[in-house]
Amino acid sequence: MIDVKQVNYGVGQFALQQVDLHVGEGEYFVLLGPPGSGKTVLLECLCGLRRIDSGRIVLGGRDVAQLEPRQRQIAYVPQDYALFPHRSVDSNIAFGLRRQRLDKAEVKRRVDEVVEMLGIGSLLGRSVAALSGGEKQRVALARALVLRRKVLLLDEPVCALDEAIRQEICSQLRSLQRRLGLTAVHVSHNLEEAFLVADRAAVLRDGRLQQVGTMSDLLRRPANEFVARFMRCENILPARAIGPADMEGQTTVAVGEGNAGVRLRVIGRCKGELRVIVRPENLRLLSTRPSAQWLAEHGESTIRLRLAARKDCGSYLRFEMTGPVRLTAHLSHSAADGLPADEGAELLAWLPPEDLHVLGSQ
Amino acid sequence: MVKASRPTTAVCSWQGRLFAAGGFFFVALFTLFIAALIVADALYVDAAAVRKVLSSSYVLDALWLSVWTSLASAALGVLFAVPVGYSLSRFHFPGRVVVDSIIDLPIVFPPLVVGLTLLVFFSQTGLGRWIQDDLGIEFIFQRKGVILCQFVVSASLAIRSARTAFDDVDRRLENVALTLGCGRMGAFWHVSLPLARNGIAAGAILAWARSFGLFGPLLILVGSFRGRTEVLATTVFLEQAVGHVEVALALGLLMILVALVALTVIRLLGGLRL
Repeated sequence: MIDVKQVNYGVGQFALQQVDLHVGEGEYFVLLGPPGSGKTVLLECLCGLRRIDSGRIVLGGRDVAQLEPRQRQIAYVPQDYALFPHRSVDSNIAFGLRRQRLDKAEVKRRVDEVVEMLGIGSLLGRSVAALSGGEKQRVALARALVLRRKVLLLDEPVCALDEAIRQEICSQLRSLQRRLGLTAVHVSHNLEEAFLVADRAAVLRDGRLQQVGTMSDLLRRPANEFVARFMRCENILPARAIGPADMEGQTTVAVGEGNAGVRLRVIGRCKGELRVIVRPENLRLLSTRPSAQWLAEHGESTIRLRLAARKDCGSYLRFEMTGPVRLTAHLSHSAADGLPADEGAELLAWLPPEDLHVLGSQ
Repeated sequence: MVKASRPTTAVCSWQGRLFAAGGFFFVALFTLFIAALIVADALYVDAAAVRKVLSSSYVLDALWLSVWTSLASAALGVLFAVPVGYSLSRFHFPGRVVVDSIIDLPIVFPPLVVGLTLLVFFSQTGLGRWIQDDLGIEFIFQRKGVILCQFVVSASLAIRSARTAFDDVDRRLENVALTLGCGRMGAFWHVSLPLARNGIAAGAILAWARSFGLFGPLLILVGSFRGRTEVLATTVFLEQAVGHVEVALALGLLMILVALVALTVIRLLGGLRL
């Protein structure tokens, strides 16, 4: 449905470089990245609000790179909604229909239809200045959807809203997108938002795509350290492969600063310098000294650490630990039962090979 | 839900109130000073001068000429201000800074110099003579010249105001309009122009006010022919020049009254925040 091929675009010191992207028909795709990474610029290139320097943008089989925004048949919801302040809610929603010179009855019928779909009947006739953030968002969405276009482009559509409304609107966006069979591209810097809506996502950094995949891919198998950090993985350990892989296809690696002698086993044939990643929520902690048999079985998957801090983050507990490596664990309250809370207490971190992801030479 | 139109007042300390009081002191000082000037004029003028002003046909002619030429030049100013202001606000082109400065020049021109420059242009240059003689569009000693002088002096004010108004219109609104089916012109017509209307109207008022009170360049380019090129401001100048100070001040009060009524009516009718 949407194909971005080798797109380059420069503005000032910033440049989108060699962006290649495919979004399938009916897919909900999220463009992720920190502020300034080029998400909005890429979306505006798709809209036709910026003329690309080179490459192709294909929407529904049609190369639209040289077409004006109005010829691209896209529905666009900009950041902060950009409702027309001199027009009422009704007039904002009907704006695109009136440009098509539809008769009044048809305009009213289509406005009523989208208003009912979004449940914003109570807002009709009001000035946009008097709307709350969530109401503005719904009106902006209605203004875009009323045109019945197949591609919906959303620029940070919920970033200005509070947490509860954000979740509600994300769910509404997702269900609308499915019900109407839309292909959606949604720009966001917020991971929770992306998890709520995305079929697939891409991470951008300084105008370059870093990785494209499902949110699970990005979370569990980040392509590089930047993606891992963006996906809030704090445990990125420098490591070095020791010896060749064994019969099971696992390699022993030494981890820690100066490869301090802690050994772990990772899946895959690795060599040279690496990065070993373990997500904080995958880290398992033990407080009591395990049995000799358990240690014999898991010896090369454990690290002895000391608790530096234990913080209650509401839905989980955060353990910060030091030792041969610094590690952070996020545990549910029930999983943390029986673990020490005192600073300096000894803990054993268990890192089985299936929980570790390796970056580097494989 | 908070009504957006309701002004908010933050809690403030005595320093804050003192600061606000300082502002009001200057507001009061300025408005009282202007009011005192008008009152002084009114006290100086006697009934005979007022009778003379109100009963003279040349005063009514001059008033009518002042009103319609200043409105025409303000309208002409807006006609230029909208496209020029929009272009300067939206389009980047080489030499924009120079163009910007040239557009502002008439604001700082001494009005007499404008009159002299126009006279030299239409009487001494080939292009000016071609316009006057061959095209037959005569400005020197003609009413068209009144409008031209007023336009040259006041259009820059309208342009400056329109440009600032377009600068204040969020470009994203135009961008959204582009995706909703508008071309550039449609986005301008349906979004930018309505949103900039207050600034454009403010510029039109400035241009009208500047034109209404103008007389220096008019004396040079069109002279002061009673019933033909004499505007009210010229009449004031001529009356005081021959020693009829009371009549000049009575005429001045008439101009102030017309301006006051016009400005108030525009504000009330338009509901504009000018």
